[in-house]
Amino acid sequence: MNTVSARLLPVAIFALLASSGCATNKIPDDALRLTESSLEVRAIQTRRFAVKSHVDIMNATISALQDMEYNIDALDKSLGVITASKVSDADSPSDKTGRIMLDLLCGVGGTSCNSYATRDDKYAVSMTMVVLPSLEAKGEYMTRITLQRALISKAGTITNLQRIDDAGTYSEIFARLSKSLFLKENLE
Amino acid sequence: MNTFRRMMLCCFALISSGCGTTNPDIVPDNSQLAVRQLQTRHYDTLDTKLTMRSVVATLQDLGFIIDVADPDLGLVTGTRLHDYTMRMTVTVAQKSDDRVSVRANARINETGISDPRTYQDFFVVLDKAMFLTLNQVD
Repeated sequence: MNTVSARLLPVAIFALLASSGCATNKIPDDALRLTESSLEVRAIQTRRFAVKSHVDIMNATISALQDMEYNIDALDKSLGVITASKVSDADSPSDKTGRIMLDLLCGVGGTSCNSYATRDDKYAVSMTMVVLPSLEAKGEYMTRITLQRALISKAGTITNLQRIDDAGTYSEIFARLSKSLFLKENLE
Repeated sequence: MNTFRRMMLCCFALISSGCGTTNPDIVPDNSQLAVRQLQTRHYDTLDTKLTMRSVVATLQDLGFIIDVADPDLGLVTGTRLHDYTMRMTVTVAQKSDDRVSVRANARINETGISDPRTYQDFFVVLDKAMFLTLNQVD
């Protein structure tokens, strides 16, 4: 190594140190900001029910979650928080067929796509339901749901993380809760 | 000093510089007081119970699922799956008769958040939720 290179070596190492440092991943700017549709989503996620007591609506909510095959993970009565989850199948026959065809085509082309082995396998769905006395209407209870799911591949990797803001899904859950309240009132 | 020794010294400097603490994966290299200050706000508008209600609503507004909620300890933790995994722990404590403190800390994937703007954003959303609760809006 000549003299110039020897002199530049510490400078190069300093540059390396400065650039590597203790770098952290970039935090998204909007990580904890509300989106423009937040109010709309909040309305989709919220319903009020006229029920006799907090215990009645909590019980009916738990029953509705059981009806939908969820397991209860966390519950606090005074905060009205019920969190539940389930793992469901994400493996569809049409997806399987398509991927087998793709792998066959790749084989004919002399490459390996490995599409069948990495196909979607299951959804891990989590839901929080908050059930509290309404601040707006006396004698009624406010129920608010938030939903999210992770899509897990056959290889065990998470391929998609998403919060669910689809109005139809929330309407179906509220319909289940209404039915659960009706059954509780009339059949139990 | 020959070139070999210089290289050895530089390598030693690289290895020993590290990131401050012995195990940064277990104990991060940060100032406890500074972290607490940027993660904490004080409120004198609502009591602990209604503040906790607002915290739960805030986390739901931001798309979190509640993992743990304990009103006695004033603790709420949540997880959000949205392109990345974000976890938050929020604690609510009564400081005096009419003063409640709220502390929030968050991580995205494997990274702790120390950026003050992110916590400012959280408290902006909490301020709105507190306002709605104060005005008796569900």
